[in-house]
Amino acid sequence: MVRYIAYRSLVAIFLVWVVVTLVFLLLHLIPGDPAELLLSQGSIAPDPQAVAALREKMGLNAPLWQQYLDHLGGLLSGDLGASFRDGAPVIEQIATRLPRTLEVIFTAALLASLAGVPLGTWAAIRAGGKADGFVSLLASAALSTPVFVVGSVVILIFAQQLKWLPAGGFVPFSEDPVQHLKLLILPAGTVALSLWAVITRMTRASVLEVLERDHVRTARAKGLGRNTILRRHVVRNALIPVLTVLGLEMGTLIGGTVLVEFVFNWPGLSGYLVAAVDARDYPEVVGIVMTISVLFVFLNLVVDVVNAALDPRISLVTP
Amino acid sequence: MSRSTRKLLLPGGIVLALVTVLLLAPLLPLHDVRAMDIPNRFAGPSAAHWLGQDEFGRDVLARLIWGGRASLFIAVGSALAAATIGTLLGLLGGYFRGVVEVLTVRAAEVLLCLPPLLLALLVVTILGAGTWPLILALTLLYTPNYARVAYAATLQVRGLDYVTAQRAMGAPPLTILGRTILPNVLPPLLVQMSLVVASAMVIESGLSFLGLGVVPPTPSWGLMIRAARGAMEQAPMLLVWPSLALAGTILTFNLLCDRLQTALDPREVTKGGALWMRRPGRRKTAAARRHGAADDNGPLVEICNLAISVGRTPQIDLVRRAGLTVMPGETVALVGESGSGKTLTSLALLGLLPDQLRVSAGEMRYRTRAGAVLDLAQMDEEAFRALRGPEVSMVFQDAAAALNPVHRVGDQLAEALRAGGLTGERAVQARVVELLRHVGIPEPERRRRAYPHELSGGQRQRAMIALAVANSPRLLVADEPTTALDPTIQAQILDLFRKLKTDTPDMGLIFVTHDLAVVSELADRVVVMYAGEVVETGPVAEVFARPKHPYTAALIASVPEGAADQLRAIPGSVPPPHDMPPGCRFAPRCDHALPQCTSRVPETSHPEASRSSRCIRWKEVC
Amino acid sequence: MFDMGAKPAPLVEARGLARNFPGRQGLLGRVRDVWAVRDVTLALAPGETVGVVGESGCGKSTLGRMMMGFDRPTEGSVSFDGRDLAALSAAERRKLSRRMQMVFQDPFGSLDPRRSIGAQITDGLRIHRLVPPGEIEAELFRLLDQVGLPRSAASRRPHAFSGGQRQRIAVARALSTRPDFIVADEPVSALDVSIQAQVVNLLMDLRRDLDLAMLFISHDLHVVRHLCTRIVVMYLGRVVEEGPAERVFATPAHPYTRALLTATPSLKPRPTGGAPRILPGELPSPANPPSGCPFRTRCPLAEAACAEAVPAARRIEPGWQAACIKAAPEAVA
Repeated sequence: MVRYIAYRSLVAIFLVWVVVTLVFLLLHLIPGDPAELLLSQGSIAPDPQAVAALREKMGLNAPLWQQYLDHLGGLLSGDLGASFRDGAPVIEQIATRLPRTLEVIFTAALLASLAGVPLGTWAAIRAGGKADGFVSLLASAALSTPVFVVGSVVILIFAQQLKWLPAGGFVPFSEDPVQHLKLLILPAGTVALSLWAVITRMTRASVLEVLERDHVRTARAKGLGRNTILRRHVVRNALIPVLTVLGLEMGTLIGGTVLVEFVFNWPGLSGYLVAAVDARDYPEVVGIVMTISVLFVFLNLVVDVVNAALDPRISLVTP
Repeated sequence: MSRSTRKLLLPGGIVLALVTVLLLAPLLPLHDVRAMDIPNRFAGPSAAHWLGQDEFGRDVLARLIWGGRASLFIAVGSALAAATIGTLLGLLGGYFRGVVEVLTVRAAEVLLCLPPLLLALLVVTILGAGTWPLILALTLLYTPNYARVAYAATLQVRGLDYVTAQRAMGAPPLTILGRTILPNVLPPLLVQMSLVVASAMVIESGLSFLGLGVVPPTPSWGLMIRAARGAMEQAPMLLVWPSLALAGTILTFNLLCDRLQTALDPREVTKGGALWMRRPGRRKTAAARRHGAADDNGPLVEICNLAISVGRTPQIDLVRRAGLTVMPGETVALVGESGSGKTLTSLALLGLLPDQLRVSAGEMRYRTRAGAVLDLAQMDEEAFRALRGPEVSMVFQDAAAALNPVHRVGDQLAEALRAGGLTGERAVQARVVELLRHVGIPEPERRRRAYPHELSGGQRQRAMIALAVANSPRLLVADEPTTALDPTIQAQILDLFRKLKTDTPDMGLIFVTHDLAVVSELADRVVVMYAGEVVETGPVAEVFARPKHPYTAALIASVPEGAADQLRAIPGSVPPPHDMPPGCRFAPRCDHALPQCTSRVPETSHPEASRSSRCIRWKEVC
Repeated sequence: MFDMGAKPAPLVEARGLARNFPGRQGLLGRVRDVWAVRDVTLALAPGETVGVVGESGCGKSTLGRMMMGFDRPTEGSVSFDGRDLAALSAAERRKLSRRMQMVFQDPFGSLDPRRSIGAQITDGLRIHRLVPPGEIEAELFRLLDQVGLPRSAASRRPHAFSGGQRQRIAVARALSTRPDFIVADEPVSALDVSIQAQVVNLLMDLRRDLDLAMLFISHDLHVVRHLCTRIVVMYLGRVVEEGPAERVFATPAHPYTRALLTATPSLKPRPTGGAPRILPGELPSPANPPSGCPFRTRCPLAEAACAEAVPAARRIEPGWQAACIKAAPEAVA
C-alpha cells in the first residue's frame, strides 16, 4: 500500500509538471506575440509602447528555454509572479482564497455522497418500478441543469421569494459561525446538486450490476440476512466504480465552483479566476489555473488511494 | 421495434424537432432579435410577444430561438470536430499500439488533467471571447474524451477472435480497422456524442454567463440568464424561460444518451427490481406444510412433477414434470446438456432461481434434521434463509465469481459460520482453520487471510466447498464444480468430494454435470435431463450399461471415449424453450421415433423398480 | 529428432520456439520473465493431425498462435513450406495466410456479430482473388454443403445460429481459402458433448477428404485420441512427450502424461476399483517455474537429479520421445 501511494504520488508530480509545461506552452506557441494577444481587445490593435512594456515585464525578450526555466524556478520557490493590475503577489491571494473554495468542495462532496449513495441503492433495489423511475428522472433533471442556472433559481426562490437565506456574500467562521454556515449552505448545496445526481445514478447502476453477480447469490446461499448481504456484499462492492466516477467528476466539480462562487459572491479562488480572466491578468490566471490543477491532480490521487484500499485486486502493476 | 428502440423515439424526436426549428429560424416569422423597445421593457406575455419582452424590450421568444441556434451550433460543431479527431486518434492508437499509442492516447490523457472549464478559460484568456475560440477550446477539451473511448473500445474489440480471424484471412490492417473494428466501436462513440453535446452546452452557457463566451449582440441562453439575474426583482420570469430551454435541451440530450446506451447494450431489468431484497410480506408467505410423521427411512429430498416457468401469457416451461429422489447419504448425478434444466432444478432447491423465473407446479419435499417435511416449492425467501447453510447448501461452478473479491476468504467463511449459529470469535476462527484444512488447503492459518484472487483455481474451488459444508448441511448441491478446472485439478476436487462423502455418510449429494465420465466416477444414481424434462433415472452402472431412453443411449455413444471410429452425433439441436415440439421433446432427433411419440407426452415407465424412463419404446432401446 | 527417411518433408516446422511475456512490477520494479513457451520443436507433415494437450499455462494456445505467425517468437523460428515466417514482409505474410487458417475456441466470439455469415465465409475468397466474382456464390454454397449447413444460412447473422452451427461456420470460413494447414484451438471445448461429436466427425471427414495438416489443441484427451495420429504433451511451456497417439495413450512414457490420463475421468469402471492415484499440488506459475524439470514438484518419481537441469528428450522409438530421465512406457492403471 505504501508503495502504491508512493508510486501514484510520483505519477501525480509528473502530471503537475506536465500541466505546468502545457500552460507555459499554450501561451508561447500560439501564433502571434503573447504580449500583444493579452493586450488586444477585440480587433483594436494595442498600443505598441504598452506591448513593449508588457514584453519587458513578462521577460519575453529572453530565449524561450530561459523563460521556461525561470518559470519553473519561480514556481518551485513559491513565486507565482505578481498581478498585472495591482502588482500584489499572486501567491497571497491564492493562500487566502483557496481554503474557502475547498470548504465549498468538501461540504458539497459530503452532502452529495450522504444523500446519493442510499438513494441510489434504494432505487436500484426497486429498479424498473415507479419509485426508481421518479428518482432517475429527478437525477437526470438535476444533472441537466447547469450549475449557474441552479444557483440563480435557488437565489430567486430561497433568498428573494422565501427570504429564508441570504443571497450571497461571506463572513469568516471566526467572526460569526452561524452566519458563515448560513452563507455556505446555498453555494455548497448548488454544487452538491449535480454531484448528487451523478452519485445517485452511478450508485444505482453499480448496485444493479452487483446484484446480478454470482457472489451475491453465494451470500444468499450461505443463509445470510438481507441487511448483511446489502451491506457487505452489495454496497461494499458497488462503491468501487462510484468512487472512480467521483474522481472523474472532480474536474466538473471544480469547474462548478468557478460559476457558483461568481453567482453567490463567495470569495474563493475559482470565482477570482473569472475576474482575472476578464482583465487578461496573465500571471494571476496562470497562478490560479496551476493551483487548481494541482488540487485536481491531488484530489484524484486521494480517490485512487481510497480505491486501492477498497479493492484488494488493485496492485502495483504498471498501467 | 424492440422496447428499448421505441424509448429512443421520444428524446430523438424532440432533438429532431429542436434542430429543425433552430435551423429554420431565419425563415420563421420572428421579431428582429436586436429590435429594442425600451418603453415596453419587462412586459409580460402578449399576443405580439408570446413570452414577453426583456430588459431592452426585445422579444424573448425570438432571442430564445436564436440563442439556441448559437448554442447548439457551438456545441454540435465542437462535438463533431472532437469526434472525428478523437476517434481517429483512438482507433490508430488502439490498433497499432506502440509509439502511435503513446503519442495519441497518452497525450490525450494529459490534456484531461486540466478541469474542463479551466482549460476553456485559459484558451479564452489568450484568444479572447467569441464563437470560434469557443469552438476551438471545446474541441480541444473533448477530443481526449473521444480518444479514450475509441481507444478502450478498439483495444477490447481487437482482442476478439473474429478480428484475429480477419488477420488470418490476410486482410490488410486498414480494411480490418474500417470494416471490422470501426462498426463495433461505433456504439459507445455514439453514446459519447450525445453526452458531449450536452456537456458542451453546459460549458458554453457557463462561459457566456460569465461574459467570457459568446459575445453580444449574438444572443445565447447563458447571456440571457446573466441579464435576467440582474433583473430578478422586476421580472423573475425572464430567468425562467432561458433556464427551462437550457435545462430542457440538455436533459433531452442526456436522455437520448441514456436510451442509446440501453438500446445498444440492453440489460434486462426485472420489473420491481431485486424481489428477494424486499421486505418480507411482499411475497406470499405461505407456511410450509408438514407432511406426516418423521420417517427415518424416507428420502431426504423428493421432487415430484416440478415445473419452472417464465412469463405469464404465454407461460414458457423451462422445466416440466421433473422428478428425482435422493436418499440420505446418496450421491445423485443430474446430467444433461445445455438447455436441459439441470441447473435450474438445482437452484430451485435452494430458492435461488433468478427473479424472472418461478416454480409453477409440483412439489419439492425435503426432510429436515428435526424430522419435519417441508415443501420447498412453497417457501419464501425468509423461510429459505433459515434452511440455507445448516440444511441445504450449494457449491457453484465458477469459484472466482462466486466468492466476493473484496473480502478475505477466512472472513467469508466466518460469516457463514455465524449465520449458522456459531458464536464466540475464537470458536469461529478455529473452525475456519479446521474447515480449510479439511478441504485440503495447505497452510490454512495463513491462507485464511488471503483474498480470492490470490488463490489458485483449485484452491478457490476448495474454499467454495468449505463454505458450503461449513454448517454440516444434510443436502449438498454441487453445480458443475469441476467444469472450469484443469484435468489434474479436477481429479483432486473429485477426490475431495469422495472424501466428504466418507466423512459425512448421511449427507446427500446432488452433483450437476454434463460429463458422463464424472458421473461414472462419483455417483450412485443418475438422473438424465433433456430439454427441461427428466428422461431417465437409475443406478449409474446399469443406466450406462443398458440405457432405457434413446437420448441416454445417444449421449453415451457420442462420448469420445468409445473405441468406435466414428462418434455418434445426435443430429439437430435442442429446441428453444418457446418452440418445444408437442409430445416427446426428443422425438425430432430420435432414431426410434414413431408417430405416437409426437402426438402425446410419454408417461414415465418403470423398467425396473429402481429405474424410470420417459420413453414408450424403452424396451427396444438397448 | 525424427526419422527423416520415413516421413515426407514437413509442411510446418517449429524449431526451438520460445515466447516470453515480460512483465514489470511497478515503474521501478524488476522485469520478470514469463516464458509461455520454451524450447519447442515440432514438425507437421502434410495431411498429418497432431494433437497438443496440456493444462492451463502450458503454452499450447501461444504455440498455436506462433505456428500461425500471429505472435513473433522470442527465440527460434517457424517455417512454412520452407520459408521462415519472421523473414517475410507484411505483404508476403498476408499472401501466405491463404494456406494456413485457424478455428477458434469460442463459437460466440469468433464471428463478427454485425455481418452475415456468407460475407464472412467469402472474405478470404475475395481478398486472395481465388475465384472470379461471378463464382463466389457457388463456392459459398459448396462450402456450406461441405460443413452440413443449409444454403439459406448464408444471408443470416451469427446470432441466429447455435454454438455447434457457429463452429461449423468457422470451419467453413477456415476452409474457404483451401488451406494446407489448420490450427484448431480448442474448437469443441465450448460445445455440448453431442454437438462436439458433430464437429469432431466433420473434422475427421475433412481430414480424410482434403489431406489437411491440422494442429489440434485441446485439454480433452479423449477427443484428441479420437482425432489425432500424433500427440504432443506440454507442461509449463515445454514439450514433455511426443509420439504416436495410440502408443502414447496406451503406454505413456512420461509421468505427467500418465498423471493426465489417470486424472481424466473415465466412463468405464476402473479395473483396480477404488480411487485412482491423484496428482497432488498446484500447477506452478509460468512466472516462477521450478528449476530443472518443471514437473518435478508434483512428480511421484522425482529425485535430486531432476532439479539440476531440464531433462533432454529421450528417444523411446522412432518418432516417440519423452523429456524425463526416467522415461519408460508404462500402462496406466
